[in-house]
This record gives sequence, structure tokens and C-alpha cells, in this order.
Amino acid sequence: MNIWIWVAIIVVVVMILMFLYYYNSFITLLQRIKNSKSQITVQLKKRSDLVPNLVNMVKGYMKHEKSVLTEVTNARASMMKAKGFEGKVKAGNQLQDALKSLFAVSESYPDLKASQNFLQLQTEVAAIEDKVAYARQYYNDSILSYNTMTQKVPGMWFAGIYGFKKQDYFEIPEEEKAAPKVQF
Amino acid sequence: MESPRISFYNEIKRNKRNSFLLISVVLLILLALVYAISAVVSREYTFIILIIGTIVSLLYVVISYYKSADIAIKSVGAKKASKSQFPMYHSLVEGIALASGLPKPKLYVMEEKQINAFASGRDPKNAVICMTTGALAKLDKQELEGVIAHEMSHIANYDIRFMTLTAVLVGLISIISQIFLRSLWYGGGSGGGKDKSKVIFLIIAIVLAILSPILVALVQLAISRKREYAADSTAVKFMRTPTGLQSALKKIQHNSEPQKKVPDAVSSLFLAKPSKSKEWFMTHPPLSKRIAKLDRM
Repeated sequence: MNIWIWVAIIVVVVMILMFLYYYNSFITLLQRIKNSKSQITVQLKKRSDLVPNLVNMVKGYMKHEKSVLTEVTNARASMMKAKGFEGKVKAGNQLQDALKSLFAVSESYPDLKASQNFLQLQTEVAAIEDKVAYARQYYNDSILSYNTMTQKVPGMWFAGIYGFKKQDYFEIPEEEKAAPKVQF
Repeated sequence: MESPRISFYNEIKRNKRNSFLLISVVLLILLALVYAISAVVSREYTFIILIIGTIVSLLYVVISYYKSADIAIKSVGAKKASKSQFPMYHSLVEGIALASGLPKPKLYVMEEKQINAFASGRDPKNAVICMTTGALAKLDKQELEGVIAHEMSHIANYDIRFMTLTAVLVGLISIISQIFLRSLWYGGGSGGGKDKSKVIFLIIAIVLAILSPILVALVQLAISRKREYAADSTAVKFMRTPTGLQSALKKIQHNSEPQKKVPDAVSSLFLAKPSKSKEWFMTHPPLSKRIAKLDRM
């Protein structure tokens, strides 16, 4: 009779520990997703903060490329207005494309390319580009490990009990990392 | 991409468990050593010597554990890398920090022509990365990023904690055995060899004093070699490509600059082994094997 009491106690303790463990794991993974989202928006903000300087600097040289410049300015404006994570990432993509064409056009302005300020801004933008790519990679990884946890046994059961749902995989393409590399 | 991510966390768990195991084993060896020594030196004060020895050892371990990063940095004479002087170094580390979800470590530079680097600290929040000036000068952006990813992997996998602990404990054991073996030259056992048990303890103490540093060092080295492969593969996971690290390792292979002597205790922390030694005593697997493994990723 005593044995059964002990068995019951052990089972209850193990159950409690498992409940705690899985709850904490889910919270940790959710925290990681939240953190990775904010890292992305921080980098996007940093990039859009560079735009006014860049546009001012380029304006004097590129007299015939008004459309490229307005595109960049517009993209930045919509970046400022963008709400929510998804909106910001979309606006960020738009700005990235606009900057890409700006730097492509700049190739045909030797005076501009010779400017130390411009080169520095270009390296800074390229560095942020890399960081955005890495932050996205981390975001994708975080979502993946969270979702794996909610779908596998026994995490699946605990997710059901606690009401942790599979997160929408807002997939952000990673291949853009290779995009605008500055060549010297 | 799902399984590597999981094995990555298993790696951390294993490292934390290994760290714990290592401390327990080393502490046991240590207690045996101190006990045997105190029995030889004086039967009457065995207990007191044991207590004092343990307290001093624990203090040594705790202090060097918390100061580990500073000690490693000072022992190789490295200097802080300022953001204005090394903008690319900083920016690449920030990128890998984002990719790995780790805080940005403190960055250092050491004056050295050879391409090399190391990471140290007790956890990711208190980590440092140190590059040689040779690495910063001779590696291109992608290679440098590969090397940084390798060092950040040591931080992410908690290798730095494990390595720090082993360095500290190996150091402690060798200090104690050195003191004991040297004291034999002078004092000898006070009172001569009348007591039989004293002789036995003397033999045990001598054997332990000679063997334990070697044993602990061998265990440490075997584990440290495995860790290098793991860090290479984690680096590939952060970078999503092996090319940068691989071509950096190739550059080290073809670089014939003589390396300055680095203290033994920190040599296992480096990217590539800083000294020439026999295979058993190597902290790192051969470069050619690592390059070949990266080829298969």
C-alpha cells in the first residue's frame, strides 16, 4: 500500500515538472520570436534614417535621375508610416529595392563615386543590408523552432493545454543577403 | 533545416552537463590529492590542511572563473578594438550576433602576424572575441566573417565556459602538484619513514601529483578537438555557407609566419592551434581535416 502512495507522488511530481518545463520552453521560444522581430525593425529603422543624408548628398550630382530619387524618398515615407511588423517589413523591402536602383544608377556618376561621404554611406547601407538579412534568418529560425515544438509530441499536447498556437510563418526571403555588395 | 537547429541546443545541453561532470571529477581528484599530501606532510594537521587547501582552491576557482575573460585577454597582451579603428570587425560581429541571437561580445585585438582568433568568457553575456592583427589584415570580408562566426559558435555552444573551467582547473591541479613535488626536494617527509601508512600515502601523493595534471589535460584536449568541428558546423549554420570559413582556414594553412608563444592554458581557446605539439597534445584537429569536413556541408 505504501508503495502505491510513493508511485503516485512520483508521478505527480514528474507531471508538475513537465508542465513547468514545457510552459517555460514555450515562453522562451515566444520571447525569442519577439526579440528577433524587434531586431529586424531596429535595423530597418537604422536604414531608413540614413536615407535623408543619402538623398541630400546625391541630389547635387544626379540631375537627370529625379524618378529614382523620388522613389527612394517615397519608400522612406511609407516606411515611416508603416504599422505593424508585417507592414514595416514590406515597406523595408520596397526601400531596399529603391536603394538598389539608386546605387545602380550611381555607377554612371564618377564624381559621386569619388566622394568620400558617398562611399561611407554606401558601405553603411551595405552593412545594414547584411544585418537585416541576418536578423531575418534568426527570425525564420525562431519561428521554426517554436512551430516544431507546437507540432511534435509531447510538446503538441502541452501546446494544446496551454493554448499556444502555431505562429503564422511570415516567411521572409533570405536570399537578399547576396544582393547589393559594395565593390571597391 | 530543422534537425541542425535542435542538435544545436543539444550541443549546449551537453556542454553544460560536461562542464558539471568535469568540475566534479576534477574536484574529486583534487580532494584526493590534497588529502594524500596532507597525510604525508603531517598526520596531526591533516584535517586542517584539508580544509584550508579546499578553501584556497575554491577561492582560486571562483575568482579565476569570474575573471577568466580578463585573464585570457591579459595573458596574450590584447587591446580593446575601438569601433572607429575597426569598423568592419565591429559590423561583422554585430551581424553574426543578430544571426545567432547572442549579445554582442567585447572585441579585442592582439599584435600578431599569424592569422588567428579566440573567444573566451564564462557565458554569452560576458564573452570576448580577440582577433590577431594578422587576421584583420590578411582576411577578406567573407573570410573574416567566417572566422567570427566560428568564434561566436564557441560562445553560443557554451564552449567558452567549458574551456575556461578546464583551463582554470588544469591550472589549479598543476599548481598543487608542482608545489608538492618541489617541496619533496627540500623538506622530505618530516620524521622519516617509520610510519608505514605514511609511505603509502607518500607514493599515492607522488603518483597523483604526476598523473593528475596529465590525465586532466588529455581529457580536456580530446574534448576540445571535438568542439572545433562542432563550432565549424555551427558557424556554417549562422552564415548559411561554408565558403568564408573554409577559405580562411586555407589561408592559415598556407601562411608560414612563425607564431609567438602563447601560454598553454589559453592555447585551446584559439581558432587554430598556436603551437607545434604531438597529436595527443593537440587542442585542435588538423586543418586539412576541418577543411575537408566543411567541403561536405
